[in-house]
Amino acid sequence: MSLLEAWEFFRWSILAILVAGTVLPLIGSWLFVRRTSFHGLALPQFAASGVALGFLLLPWFVGQGMFGGLPLEEVAADTHDALNYHLAFAALGTFVGLGLLVLVGDRLGTESARVAGAFAVANAVTILCAHASPLGEIFVHGILTGESLVVGVHEFETLAAVLILGAALLIWRHHDLVLVSLDRETAAVLGRPVRRLEALLVAVTGLSVSVGTMSVGPMILFGLLVLPPLGARPFARSMPGFLGLSAALGGLAALLGLTASFRIDLPMAPCVVAAAAVCALPGWLVAGSRS
Amino acid sequence: MSPRPPASPSTSEGSHLLRAEGLALGYRTPLLREVTLEVRAGERIAICGPNGAGKTTLFRGLLGLLEPLGGSLERESLRIGYVPQREQLDPLFPLTTLEVVLQGAVPALTGLRRHRSEAQAHAQALLERLGLAERGGTLLSQLSGGQRQRALLARALMVRPQLLLLDEPTSGVDLEAAAAVFEQVDRLAAEEGVAALTVTHQFDQLAQHVDTVWWVADGAVRTFPVEAFDPAPLLGRRSGDRSGGAT
Repeated sequence: MSLLEAWEFFRWSILAILVAGTVLPLIGSWLFVRRTSFHGLALPQFAASGVALGFLLLPWFVGQGMFGGLPLEEVAADTHDALNYHLAFAALGTFVGLGLLVLVGDRLGTESARVAGAFAVANAVTILCAHASPLGEIFVHGILTGESLVVGVHEFETLAAVLILGAALLIWRHHDLVLVSLDRETAAVLGRPVRRLEALLVAVTGLSVSVGTMSVGPMILFGLLVLPPLGARPFARSMPGFLGLSAALGGLAALLGLTASFRIDLPMAPCVVAAAAVCALPGWLVAGSRS
Repeated sequence: MSPRPPASPSTSEGSHLLRAEGLALGYRTPLLREVTLEVRAGERIAICGPNGAGKTTLFRGLLGLLEPLGGSLERESLRIGYVPQREQLDPLFPLTTLEVVLQGAVPALTGLRRHRSEAQAHAQALLERLGLAERGGTLLSQLSGGQRQRALLARALMVRPQLLLLDEPTSGVDLEAAAAVFEQVDRLAAEEGVAALTVTHQFDQLAQHVDTVWWVADGAVRTFPVEAFDPAPLLGRRSGDRSGGAT
C-alpha cells in the first residue's frame, strides 16, 4: 500500500507522525545542547508508566461513574473522556518523574546514572501496572511496539496543539533560552528570569512527551528526540540553522518511515526510527571524518 | 605599570560605583565576614588569594548571584558586564561569534523578541574594536582561546557597563592574547571610566594593568595599592614571587 492509498484510512496517524517528526527534533535539539539527551529516553518511559498506572486505576474510576456510567470495555475503546484521562496520567507520570529527579538533585551520583535509575524504575512500574490490568497489558504492549495506526482525530488535535504551541514558545523565547542554556550566570547577571525559562523548557518537553507517548508511542519519541539532532549538529553553522536542520531531518525521517511502513507492511514506529537513523547517517560520517 | 586612569567626568572624587560594608558572604554559613570595600569609576582591581579562600564567593556576591548573609551591598542601577571563564561555554552549542556577542543585548529585545538594529550595529562595532570583525560568522568553538576571550569581552560590553567583572581571563590563553584583553580593559578604564574587577590566579600577568589588589584569605579581604602588594609573604614564599594566586 502506498502512502497516498493509506491516507484515506490512516490520515490522523500519518499527520500525527509528520507533526511529531518535525517538532520533536526541535525539543530534542535543546536536550542535546544542554547535554540531557538521555532525558529523551527516560521521559517517554515516565509517561508510559503514568499511562499504565492510569489503566490500573481505570476500573475504580469507572466504578465511581466518572465516564457517565459506561462499562469498562467501552471506556477503554477510545472515548474522548478516556483519552483525556490517559493524557492526564501520562503527564502525571512525566512530571512526577521529572520532579523526583529535581528533588534528588545532584546529591546522588551523576545525572546520567540518576536518569538511568529512574528509567529502570519507570520501566518496572509500567510492566507491573500493565500486568495488573488486563486492558493495560494489551495497551502498553501496543504503545511499546509502536502501534500508531489507531490515532484518532482528537488525539491528533491534542498532539498538534501541544507540539505546535510548545514549538512556538521555544521559538518565541529562543534568545533567552540559548543564553540561559549556554551561560546561566551571565543570564542571571543580565536580569533574565533563569528559573522561569528553565521551567518553560521542562514544561514544553514534559507536555510534548506526555501527549506524544499517548499518540505515537515512546519508541518514535525516543528516536525523534535524539537522532535528528545528532545528524544535524555536524552541519550546523548557527543555532537557528541547527534547529531548522534537526526539524527538517525529523520531518524527512517521518515521511520516509511512513512510506516504508505502508509499502513493506512493517510496524510504523521502528520504520520511522530506522529512517531517522538513515537521515542522521551523513552527519555521523562527517563528524567521524573530522575527528 | 600603566598609569592610573582618570575618574570618569561624571564621577566626583570620593564617589563609588559599588560599596560593600560589613558584608558576609557564603553558602549557608559565611566564608567571608566583615567585608568592607568600594569600587570607583575607572578603577582596575585584581582579586587574588589562595585556592578555596573565597575569591569566587566574593565575585559571585558582587555580581548579585549570591545573596549576602549580612551587611550591606550598594550596587543599585549599576550596569555590570560579566566575562565568564571561556571554558564555561559548551562548544556543543553551534553559536557564531556574532550570536554570542548579541546575547549581551537580550534584555533589550524588541516586542517580537528580535534584536534591535542599534544592537546589531553595536555588536559589529565591538567586534571591529576587538579585532574580530572578520570572525562574526565563525563558530565560537572554532576561535582561538584569545579570540574567544575577546568575544566574551565584546558580549559584556554590549550593556555599556560601568563595571566589568572578569573571571580568570588569562586562564589557558597565551601572554599575547591575555595582554590584548587587558589593553582593552585599560582603554575602557581610561577613556570611559569603566571599572574592572578581575579574579586571577596569575597576578604577574595582570600586575601591569591594575591599580588595587584585593587579597582574599582567612575569611577576610584586605586591600592593597598595587605598588605595595607582594603576594609572596602572604603565601609564605620568598619575596618577589608575584604569582599571587593558587598555591
